[in-house]
Parts: sequence; structure tokens; C-alpha cells
Amino acid sequence: MTPHSNRAWLLLLPAIAIMGLVAVIPLLTVLNYSFHDIFTLESRYWIGLEWYGEIITSQRFWASLARSALFSAVVLTIQVPLGIAVALLLRSTRHPTLYLMALALPLVVPWNMIPGMWLTLVGPQGLVGPSLIAAGFDYKFTALHTWALIVTMDTWHWLGLVVILSYAGLSAIPRPYYHAAEIDGASRAAIFRHIELPKIAGALAIVLLLRFVDSFMIYTEAFRINAGGPQGATTFLSLDLGEDINAYSYGSAAARAMTYFLIVITVVWAFVQVTRRRAQ
Amino acid sequence: MSAAARTLALAALLLFIALPLVQTVVLSFTATLPQDGLDTGQFTLMNYARIFDTPALVASIGNSFIYVTLNVALCLAAGLPAAYAFSRYRFTGDRHVLFLMLAFRVTPPVVLSLPIFILFANLGLVNTPVGIALVHCVFNLPIAIWILESFISAVPREFDETAFLDGQSLPGFFFSKLIPAIAPGIGVAAFFCFIFSWVEVVFARILTGTGGKPITMAINALFSFRTDIGLVMAMTVFSLLPGVLMIVFVRRHIARGFVIRT
Repeated sequence: MTPHSNRAWLLLLPAIAIMGLVAVIPLLTVLNYSFHDIFTLESRYWIGLEWYGEIITSQRFWASLARSALFSAVVLTIQVPLGIAVALLLRSTRHPTLYLMALALPLVVPWNMIPGMWLTLVGPQGLVGPSLIAAGFDYKFTALHTWALIVTMDTWHWLGLVVILSYAGLSAIPRPYYHAAEIDGASRAAIFRHIELPKIAGALAIVLLLRFVDSFMIYTEAFRINAGGPQGATTFLSLDLGEDINAYSYGSAAARAMTYFLIVITVVWAFVQVTRRRAQ
Repeated sequence: MSAAARTLALAALLLFIALPLVQTVVLSFTATLPQDGLDTGQFTLMNYARIFDTPALVASIGNSFIYVTLNVALCLAAGLPAAYAFSRYRFTGDRHVLFLMLAFRVTPPVVLSLPIFILFANLGLVNTPVGIALVHCVFNLPIAIWILESFISAVPREFDETAFLDGQSLPGFFFSKLIPAIAPGIGVAAFFCFIFSWVEVVFARILTGTGGKPITMAINALFSFRTDIGLVMAMTVFSLLPGVLMIVFVRRHIARGFVIRT
């Protein structure tokens, strides 16, 4: 039994103070800005929901939204099954820790360095570029190539996180479960479906959430590879926002930011509801 | 899956992970611009020597260390009591607070960047490592609370009760009993706070216009009309080292931090 005590709130005070300063106040400020037409921060005019109206009636917003959603879908479809497969593979290796360490390496590379590393790699003087050309594939900045490079780069960057979390879930499965399955003569697929998958569901929920959010808001990588090009083919939601900020169009930027935030938070909320219901 | 197929799959995986890193290390030891009597493509240690000759680059390494260390300290100091509260008590609104924390972890940094800049400018926190350390709590504090909560929940409740029966105060219990008991959890939480703070660029950029630049921004500043890619890669190698050390330290516990109850 977990005791009920509202004195526990006292223990949360430091965390709440910090989050209030760096998260709650800024978020409320963005909300406030999004209802204003801003010339300078001192001279601004209340215009209500005008920015929001402008955004959701623009073709550009829906096109970017579609691209961001597609990117998240592609990334999740590739990284989650691949990550689980690697985690399962590591279960049967002798030194899983070494592989986990190697997979964690890309996670510690500063984000703004990753595009440079990959562009050099596939470039004509890189370690991979010449062999690609020899194999009849010349990297050009076409829409397809740019997409492929961003997806590959993102997979390189984040696969480790998926594997670490899935592996954590798998490690928590008690041995007797496998023995019991063996005695019952369960197939590999059945073991995965009925023992492993339910046990890693919690870790997977976190993986899906984190990967969704980070891929949906991808900025640095897409910007560095091709600045959202060619012809807007990789202009994701966050690049639109960056453009507004660079143009000092703060009111519009704030409304855009709030719109993205609402989309993300709605998806996350729905996701939490579904996982809670399934857990009960 | 046969043993051969398994080996092949693992080799392919390692190759995929290693290639960009190998490329980076190789270039960091290569002269990429013709200078000092070196031909391009030649092996050289010059790129590393130049880092130490450039005060701005050395300073950036210091700045990064300061704010990342501060951030880890803040997240642990505020996260530990909060994680304890979530693990041991039920209280009015606990689930909502937990969801709110999650919501802030998933808020894209760009959404908050503008007001954070204005707020911190008013508080005199722009161009200081303290400002970056604080703002990185937006996503690191929830992560720290979540990891620590799972480690504390793995400790049986009787552990606390025995300590309190012995007349220990709550702070005394934290320092003498709880922290040693969940040391691996603290290591894992520190690891994740460290890497997310170390690699972050959106806040780091807007908060360091003139001074206090971290490594990430110092590297950005190296890009120009004739970028010395060798120097950039040498800096990148530098930026990797602390993370690699962290991985070595927490390697045994890295997978445990995420065993959470469903």
C-alpha cells in the first residue's frame, strides 16, 4: 500500500521551482505572443486568433505537417523493429555490454556535428562516397537522396537508444519464463509474441514517445543537409518555424510554435491514455 | 538464426556505427588545407595543436564542462526528492504532475527558445554557462526524475522504515542510506542528463550570442568560406571524449535505468 500524503508536495518544490522558471513561464509567454502582432516587444497589438487562422489555412503548413508526419512514420517504422531485432540479437552474444557501448556512441555526438560527418562520409572524398559511385550510386542532393541521407543519419544517431531501452526490457524477463515456454514447445515467434513483447511494452512506449517527438521536430539535421530543399522537399514543421524567427515575425512564430506544441501534446496525451488503458 | 548469420549481422551493425566515427578520427589527423609546408591529405597532429593555440576553442571546452556539470548537479539535487515523492507516496494531483513533466520533456526546444531568451536577458543569464545549465533542465529534470523513480521503487519500502525507526531524519536518510543504495541509478541519471545537455544546440545557440560559447557553437564558428575540415573534425573528436568516458563508467548499469513497470 502506498501511503497518501500531501506533504510529498514539499519534496517536489525544488523541481517545480526550476520547471516553473524554465518551462511554465516561457510556455505561457509564447501563448501570449501568439495572440499578438509584434513589431517590437514593447509595441504589440492584440489580434486574437488571426495568426492561427492564417497558419491553418495556408497550403505551406499542411504540406510541412504532412512531410513531418511522413518523416516520423518512416523513422519509427525503421528504427523500432530494427532496434528490437538488434536487442534480441544481443541477448545471444557473449559481450552484450560492448555492443551497447558502441551503439551508445552516436548519442554523445553533438547534434550539429552529425550532418557534417555524414556529408563528408558520402562525399566524393569520403570513406563511402567512392564505393557508392563505383556501385553506380552517385550521391546527389535530389529529394530522394536527401530524404535517404536524413533517415539513415537519424537511424545511426538514435538506434542505440531504441536498442538500450528494448534490451533493458528484455533483461527484466525472468529465466523461468523461457524454460516454461521451452517445455510447452513454443515457437520462437510465439515466445516473442507472448513473453517478450508484453515485457518490453513499457520500454517500447517510452521509445515510441521519444522517437516520435524528436523526429517530428527534426531541425538541425534537415537544415544542414539541404536547408529544407530541394524545392522544399525536406522542409519540416520546425524549418518553417525557424524561417519565421529569422524574419523577426515573432507573433506568427509563436502561433506556429503553439500549433506544433498542441499537435505533439495531443498525440502524447492520446498515447498515454491508450497505454494506461492497456496496462489496466 | 544461424551463428554465421548472427555474426554477419553484428559485423554489419558495427560497421554502420563505426564508419562516420572512423572518418572523423581519420580527418582529424589529416591536413585538409594547404599550410605550414604540409600537403593536403598528409598525416599531421597540427589540427590538435591548433585547438590549444586558439584561446576561444580552449575556453569553449571549459564552458561546456561548466554548464553540463551544473546541469547534472541541478537535475540530481531537484530530481532526487521529487523521484522519492513519486515512488513512495500518493498525493493529490500526482499523476497530473507526472504527465506535465512528460509534456515538458516532449516540448520541442524551438517552441520555448524566444521567451527563454527574453526572460534570461532580463535576469542577466544570457552568455553565461549558468543560463544554459538552467534551461537544459526543461528536458533533463523529467528524465532524471523518471530514471531515479524506477531505481528507488526497486528498493523495498522496509529499507526506509528501518532507517526512520532508527531515528534518522529525511535528509540524513537520503545521504547516508538512499544515495548509496541507488548509486548506479544516480550514475545512469547523470549519464543521460550529461549527454542530452552536452549535445543540445538550440538553447546553447540562442543563449550564447557573444560570450560563454560551448564546444558546439565554437565548432559552428569554424565554418567559413574556407573551412578547415581537419580542425573541425579534431574539435568533434574532442567533443566526443567526455561522452565516451561516461559510457565506460555506466556501461554495466546503462540498461537497468529503463526497466520500468508497465
